[in-house]
Amino acid sequence: MINAFHLIEFAIWSGIAAVGFGVLFNIPKKAIVTVFALGFGAGFVKVILMKYDFDIIASSFIAAILVGILSTPLSHKIHQPPVIFSIPAVIPMIPGFFAYKTILSVMKYTFVEQDNANRIGLIESIFSNGFTMIFILIALTIGVSFPLLLLRKSTVKKM
Amino acid sequence: MDTSNRLENIANLILEIASLLMMSGANTNRVNLNIDRFANVLKCEAYSFISHKTIILTLTDSETNESYTRVRNIPPHRINFSTISSISKASWNAISEDWSMERIQTELDQIKDQKRYPRIIVLLAVSFAGMGFCNGFGGDYINMIVAFLSTFAGVFIHQFAHTKKYNIYLSVFLGSFIASTLASLGVVYNLGSEPQTALATSVLFLVPGVALINSFTDFLDGNFLIGLVRSTHGFMTVLAIALGLFTAMILFSIKFIG
Repeated sequence: MINAFHLIEFAIWSGIAAVGFGVLFNIPKKAIVTVFALGFGAGFVKVILMKYDFDIIASSFIAAILVGILSTPLSHKIHQPPVIFSIPAVIPMIPGFFAYKTILSVMKYTFVEQDNANRIGLIESIFSNGFTMIFILIALTIGVSFPLLLLRKSTVKKM
Repeated sequence: MDTSNRLENIANLILEIASLLMMSGANTNRVNLNIDRFANVLKCEAYSFISHKTIILTLTDSETNESYTRVRNIPPHRINFSTISSISKASWNAISEDWSMERIQTELDQIKDQKRYPRIIVLLAVSFAGMGFCNGFGGDYINMIVAFLSTFAGVFIHQFAHTKKYNIYLSVFLGSFIASTLASLGVVYNLGSEPQTALATSVLFLVPGVALINSFTDFLDGNFLIGLVRSTHGFMTVLAIALGLFTAMILFSIKFIG
């Protein structure tokens, strides 16, 4: 039961983060509910997949694809271009904590650590955190933009 | 009325629309799509070169084959998705109802007059987003409050620097520095169970998500030049964020923890 509560809590906060960024990007008022729903859905899918031992890159990728696929039909329904909800909805998945750990390890490596054994540990930390961060970023951008590109033909045809 | 004057007016109108879209954070494909739609409505063909700070547009009259070229500078970018949405909607209506130039101009003036969300709402919303990020990284509610407060201060300074027209990367640095300095206090006094999550999330409001995603879609469309420009802008922003975080961490010697 506690697990289920945590899942929902995580998803709700990810929806709130999506709306917060939406407001920063000045999305239309009509789109706020949709952005919350997409952010919530993305957070929910990501955390469920991670519970089933998917790694964080794959879970972020699948969640971003879901956002990308859902945003096109939604955009036709409330007459807004799809980017307006898809970008705010994936922003809560940005790997800020990995970026932070990478920077922390770089600093320790450069300014503090003298012991060679520990320095090797720091190199490992720089690489694993840094590449996880880069791959999550790539997964998010590909995941959210590829469905848009695939489905774009239908919008152009309407002209 | 002579044609060159007509073409000049159309070119000004379309350049205004295109630069508004670029400022608001539309990707290059969308800008081109809107240029083509409006040019078609006004019975012209448009050829354009779009860059980060400039747009070059050549219009050719479909009937007389006369052409007209104009260059326009783009003002500093400020993301505004409502503008993108309204312009797209206007372009659909313009095609289906065959709008005149005056009709498009009045619509454009209305779109430019649209109000943004009030500053305090933006501050609160972004701070709540910071709380959400912190929860996502496993912080407890004390960490989330630290993240809220430091994000709030960071956004406030960032907006202040923006209104004073500081260099954009300097504004990002200041926002990142103030936010991470406040969040560092949480690490120094060991507030909550995971104080470092608050520090890591306090600067995330500055992440150039739109620039990076747009740069990638531009690459996929083959607009490599503007895509590279956008990713360079994203990289510079990330550098400014990291520099602010570095400075705060050195001040508090957080390098010794974790």
